[in-house]
Amino acid sequence: MTKEFEGRTEQEAIAKAIDELHIEREDFDVEIVDSGRKGLFKKNMVKIRVHIGEDEEDQEDLPFIDDSYDDHFDDVVVSSQPLAPEGELEEQVVEFVATLLSKMGYPGTVTINFRKDHKLGLNIDSEFSSIIIGRKGKNLDAIQLLANVYAGQIDPDQKIIVDSENYRMRHEEQLIRLAYKTAEQVKRTGRSKLLEPMNPFERRLIHSALNDVDGVDTKSEGDGLYKQVRISCTRR
Amino acid sequence: MEKDLVEYIVKSLVDQPDEVSVNVIEGEKSTILELKVASDDVGKVIGKQGRIAKAIRTILSASATKSGKRAVLEILD
Repeated sequence: MTKEFEGRTEQEAIAKAIDELHIEREDFDVEIVDSGRKGLFKKNMVKIRVHIGEDEEDQEDLPFIDDSYDDHFDDVVVSSQPLAPEGELEEQVVEFVATLLSKMGYPGTVTINFRKDHKLGLNIDSEFSSIIIGRKGKNLDAIQLLANVYAGQIDPDQKIIVDSENYRMRHEEQLIRLAYKTAEQVKRTGRSKLLEPMNPFERRLIHSALNDVDGVDTKSEGDGLYKQVRISCTRR
Repeated sequence: MEKDLVEYIVKSLVDQPDEVSVNVIEGEKSTILELKVASDDVGKVIGKQGRIAKAIRTILSASATKSGKRAVLEILD
């Protein structure tokens, strides 16, 4: 069983969960759905999801956060059931990605994760998901790019987000953790650190994660699509 | 097969799919695929700053790791 709680801090949310469910802290697992730190202009509430007992499968229906920097997490409608494609565009894009995968030699099932405005989230379920994602999501990004070009021929406004095994959300969390960890190092040593090259979306996550952290400053360095973020100390 | 994969991707992206042809040169350790498209479609296959060509090559090498051979895509103009 899973249940969601909100609070100003993680501790507050956990305390609410203990209160309401009358259980001990040891009896459940806490998953942070929204760390509350991603908002660019205001601090969001921390949202946690509490897992009681064993239910590994619930990992599957995490909400997909596609715009971590805006405040509209909740209007992304994510069904726990994969959605079937509707309409010509969705059918064609799903068909394109599925055929692409099988021609690559890594067949899988393509379903719809969510629909929001002009965004369409696709999910790939396959025994080959590790190679479909690739190192640092390289293959998943390539598939997503081609799916976007393909969909763009039908409707130029349509954006496609391709995911597998919840990689995109896990990756975002990992980046934010990296940002905090590196910021701590920078504060401790007083020496600035340069992160690996990242795309604009990834850099934005780092910048906004550290926006409300005192004592460090972030700046992008370099040219082109893939720039590097430098985290430096503001105190001397 | 790699030829089939490249043909499928490229034909899905261009305006003149009938003009797409892929010539395969099998080497000992690598396979070279020479891609020809209608001259108006070259930009569609390469993309801004080579983004589409890069994505096709990424997918091609992911697929080629299965056979253990390297696959190289050359776009002829």
